[in-house]
Amino acid sequence: MKKLLLYLLLTAAALLMLYPLLWLLGASFKTNDEIFTSVWFMPKVLDLSVYKRAWQTVTPYTMGHYFLNTFMIIVPKTAFAVLSSVLVAYGFARFDFPLKKLFYGLLICGMLMPSIVTVMPMYSFWSRLGLLDTYIPLTLPALFAGEGMFVFILIQFFKGIPREFDEAARIDGCGTLKTLFLVLVPCIKPAVISIAVFTFLWTMNDFLGPLIMIQSVEKYPLSLALRLSVDSTGQGYELRTVIAMSVIGLIPSLAVFAIAQKKFVSGITAGGLTG
Amino acid sequence: MKTRTYRNPTGVSRYTGLLLISPFIIGALLLIVYPFVSSFITGLTDGSSFVGFENYKHILSDGQIRSSAAVTLKYALILVPLKLIVSLAAALVLNMELRGIGIFRTAFYIPSILGANLAVIIMWQYLFTSDGLVNQLLETVGLSPVSWYGDPNAALFMIVLLRLWEFGSTMIIFLAALRDIPRELYEAARVDGCGRARAFFSITLPQLKNVIFINLVLQTIAAMQEFNAPYILTGGGPLGKTRTIGMYIYEEMFTYGDAGMANALSWLLFMLIALIVFIMYRVTGTLRRDG
Amino acid sequence: MKNIIIKAAALCCALSLSACASKKAVSVTPPDGSLDKCELRFSWWGGDDRHEATLKAIDLWSKKHPDIIVTPEYGGWDGWTEKVTAQMKGGTEPDIMQINYDWLITMSPDGKGFYDLDALSGTLDLSGFDEDTLSFGRVDGKLNAVTVSLSGRGLFYNSQAYDSIGADYPKTWSDLIELGDSFGGEDAYPMDLDIQSGGTAWYLAVVYIQQKTGRQFITLDGELGFTEEDIRDALDFYKLLEDNHVIRTVKARTDEDGNAALYQSPEFIGGNVAGVLEWGSAVGKYEAVLPKGVLEAGPLLADDNGNNSGWMIKPSLLYAVSGHTKHPDEAAAFVDFLLNDEECAEILGTTRGIPASMKARAALEKSGSLTGLSKECEDMLSEADTITISPYMELTRMKSFYNAAIGSVSYGTADTQTAAEQMYRSINEYLEKIKK
Repeated sequence: MKKLLLYLLLTAAALLMLYPLLWLLGASFKTNDEIFTSVWFMPKVLDLSVYKRAWQTVTPYTMGHYFLNTFMIIVPKTAFAVLSSVLVAYGFARFDFPLKKLFYGLLICGMLMPSIVTVMPMYSFWSRLGLLDTYIPLTLPALFAGEGMFVFILIQFFKGIPREFDEAARIDGCGTLKTLFLVLVPCIKPAVISIAVFTFLWTMNDFLGPLIMIQSVEKYPLSLALRLSVDSTGQGYELRTVIAMSVIGLIPSLAVFAIAQKKFVSGITAGGLTG
Repeated sequence: MKTRTYRNPTGVSRYTGLLLISPFIIGALLLIVYPFVSSFITGLTDGSSFVGFENYKHILSDGQIRSSAAVTLKYALILVPLKLIVSLAAALVLNMELRGIGIFRTAFYIPSILGANLAVIIMWQYLFTSDGLVNQLLETVGLSPVSWYGDPNAALFMIVLLRLWEFGSTMIIFLAALRDIPRELYEAARVDGCGRARAFFSITLPQLKNVIFINLVLQTIAAMQEFNAPYILTGGGPLGKTRTIGMYIYEEMFTYGDAGMANALSWLLFMLIALIVFIMYRVTGTLRRDG
Repeated sequence: MKNIIIKAAALCCALSLSACASKKAVSVTPPDGSLDKCELRFSWWGGDDRHEATLKAIDLWSKKHPDIIVTPEYGGWDGWTEKVTAQMKGGTEPDIMQINYDWLITMSPDGKGFYDLDALSGTLDLSGFDEDTLSFGRVDGKLNAVTVSLSGRGLFYNSQAYDSIGADYPKTWSDLIELGDSFGGEDAYPMDLDIQSGGTAWYLAVVYIQQKTGRQFITLDGELGFTEEDIRDALDFYKLLEDNHVIRTVKARTDEDGNAALYQSPEFIGGNVAGVLEWGSAVGKYEAVLPKGVLEAGPLLADDNGNNSGWMIKPSLLYAVSGHTKHPDEAAAFVDFLLNDEECAEILGTTRGIPASMKARAALEKSGSLTGLSKECEDMLSEADTITISPYMELTRMKSFYNAAIGSVSYGTADTQTAAEQMYRSINEYLEKIKK
């Protein structure tokens, strides 16, 4: 009985979370005036051809092409971000070294400054290196622990692991890196995975970065392609095609999250507050 | 010069740590030090020439920017505690081993995936315009309708609700931490005849201390830098009463093209956030250390 | 007026000052009129129809000039200004750009930001433009850009809503004010004005005062033409419209529509708000949300003596050539093709508004593709004694002054006198600052 109540409550909350997505799906079949006058998700007519138009786009490339571009950015970026954040956080959490306070201070400062101020300096930096219109400005910073927040999160998680783990590993003959990857990382796997997931999802949605750095339409990631038709200064445009594109564009994010969420709980030592 | 000893395990050089953080050292030079210096210099110009601290003087004497700072603080003060409570509660529920819980976990994260999607903006209009769903609901339970978009306080609260609804990322960090709490602790508590509520306060909360702190810091930073939510929902209105400092900076930088002002304002915001975070470190210092 | 360039310098000087200095001294191939084999970058923003038509036009170009490859760079309007601003600061902008009117001030304050097109008259034929139209693109006497199309705001009404009330479209300001009563009984409004990015509220008030006084709000060279009293009168006029139920108050409008534009408002789509002031080149989105043929153009409002001066026009878009281009002749030839080529004009149609080039226009008239509300609006404006909008009036910072004043008058946080004083001071200070 108690369980049923819980399920009811969860379902109600989930609907609140899901409704906009459902509405978005319905809106991909609606005319502009229907979109702005009907909060109910069901469209009056179901015409699937909008998805064909959306997939083809007005550009010479299909959405598949833009997906591919996005993954060319996301895959290295996610790998870089996870690897560098883990190493750096490990260094901060477990070792003492010269200038540690200074670097930790820099790490925190990097998180406090509004990111807008870095846009122009970074643009001129990459421009001078002749690397505009490549994916390097979008991926390489991740290799240098560019997202201070990830390091910050991981430091706290590393600190949560008892030092005895490291010592035991050392006695067993593990070196510094072996201790990290064989003993410590498995302990904080959920945190590491959430960092990968955050990088993935945020990169999917990142607009300003690629907008400034990428010039050729051929190299546009999906986030730019999604807004190709959006021109508020002009005669207007059919929203449903734009919406259909964004529905398709959400699929990878949803899939990645649905797969990753299992890892947040099931692990070597499944624990927590259970039933 | 006094020499310092480095408290590392035996056999570990004091440079091992430096080596591990070497990616960050390169990154800090490129992504933090260089933009900071560049931004500071830009903040000392008015565009046509070096003006010293004119921009800063202007900002500190500008009533609009002061009220904008007040709005930002108020926003953070309302949003951050609410968001921490909601995401912790959601994480506790979603950490249970129920059939199909994965579907709920995904559903609860969807608002964070949608972000500034058009669907969200339009949905908020359906909810909060004068004869929107929320007001209809208020009227059916006998309350008077609220002028959500038109009243400064209500408008700010409406923005808070959007960000509150997107609690997914905070929830995930809590979920990751909940999993690390050894289950034996709960079993021991149960043997001792501890109830669910007692277990929460004497085991879960203390065990989550660190992660509550990081979420507090991260959410405070995010709230103090907020610009996107008011930008899309209210455009800073009514009467500029929901224009956060972050939005001010964005507008100075991109809408008005005044990079000098945008950078000076960024530095002031930076210092304000630094002060708040510093206080947080201090106040929670003893709490975080033990245990 | 060198501020933008210095701003760019300041932005990039942290790492290397020398790189900045060298950027200004780019050597450019002098124009000699002959076309060489090369690659050109061309950028624009827009919606689907503009993208599609322009890509087709580029195809046509590549058939005619297989040696000169044009690479398109295009996207939506969101963020496009940011992108081009960054490119101009970094000296990495495309050879040919579609630009916005106020960019002439922000990106080329001294006329040196873009290529001087007068120097390219060998390949760029400007005979299809009158000197007035060309002058919109001149900065400090240098032809920085060529006007693609002209546009002005006109009035458009929901004919069904007007019919059901039994009202005629207003011809004079007094007609408009009287309409407040007829619509007020139905809890509807004959017209809508906003203080969003478009800022139609201040626009209409400016038209009213310009017509009444014959003074131009902001002159083309960036002087404030209105007196403080003019500004107060304009704000009083706005308040009069609110008080007479001609338009919704800012608060009522915000409560009902949120932050949405009028064409996304159920009030407009449902016919409760029955009129809009909009650019002829952008009225399509309002037309599309109402049943076909319901939105109609109304006359430009006049005073009781039939004087309808004071309405305004501006270039809606311009083409500019980068000051750093290595191939000025070829770029000019491509601009010439976009503006004047008959076949190209047919392909592009009115995707960038009604062409200002006589040659393109003639081609469209011949094929009968010039019809509809934009054309009606343009005809009305071209028959009236119009004023050219100053690019200074269009600057986003200036718009924030107008909207703040209207907002405070509407919410009653300031009387019109105080709001006018404040606005007068802000405008003068800002104009002085950017013209320095």
